[in-house]
Amino acid sequence: MAERERNDAPAVAPDTAPSPSPSPPPPSVNGSVNGEDQGEATRSGPGRLLVAVYAVFALAAGARAGVQIATRFSEAPVAYALSAFAAVVYILATVALAMGGRTSRRVALISLSIELAGVLIVGTLSIADPAAFPDATVWSVYGRGYGFIPLVLPVVGLYWLRRSAVSAPSRT
Amino acid sequence: MSSVLSTVIIAVSLLAAVYALVGSLRDRPMDLWHLGSLAVLEVLLIAQAVVGFVKLGGDEGPAEPATFIGYLIGILLIPLAAAGWGMLERSRWGPGVIVVACLSVAVMVVRTRQLWEGTVG
Repeated sequence: MAERERNDAPAVAPDTAPSPSPSPPPPSVNGSVNGEDQGEATRSGPGRLLVAVYAVFALAAGARAGVQIATRFSEAPVAYALSAFAAVVYILATVALAMGGRTSRRVALISLSIELAGVLIVGTLSIADPAAFPDATVWSVYGRGYGFIPLVLPVVGLYWLRRSAVSAPSRT
Repeated sequence: MSSVLSTVIIAVSLLAAVYALVGSLRDRPMDLWHLGSLAVLEVLLIAQAVVGFVKLGGDEGPAEPATFIGYLIGILLIPLAAAGWGMLERSRWGPGVIVVACLSVAVMVVRTRQLWEGTVG
């Protein structure tokens, strides 16, 4: 419980004790070998919220891409292949954020970067050349069909990866 | 699809989201009321799935039922996942996850209705 509060403190009450240096991790956590403490860092607290939103997106994008490809792939192969790719990246990001070990953080970083690049590139292309995208993908028009969440999500995720890395210094 | 039922589900999920948001802002972990609201939501969603399948069997519904069925079933997982998470995360972020879950349910019910009425592809 004390550990939770320590993790939460900067997020919930920035006015209380803005410590310049992060407090040393408690000895019990420090003793773990398999990067469990880092897993806690990306997964717990506000990270749960992020993983939850990612899980919903992975589910939605994956199911949608599955149906599109199974029922009418030939209509818009580029758009549907892109949907499937996006779904795979979302699933990867969800799992990596939920696991949160050292390798997982790297995977999360890469998949979040791909997402950000994807939503920017596909968003721009879909406005510049709508004919190339006859059916909407998650990333079309910067994710407008999904309330622009696909644009916001990777930015929040990258910020969270950075923050949780600061609050739980990695032993690289 | 029963529009009354969808409206009730949307209303309940939004109320549950607001209540969970209050808990999260007051820095409380998930309590029994949160759990109860998720249970009510789950029961309503099961009812929706049953009604949906019965009506599909009666030759009504969208031209392409795959996505519709996916929504009917997929949505059932969300309150369960939120409840599990709320039990694991004994902090304000438990109700926080419930807020996300309830809003997702509301959006998905709207989408399910659109699929049924054929207003969206």
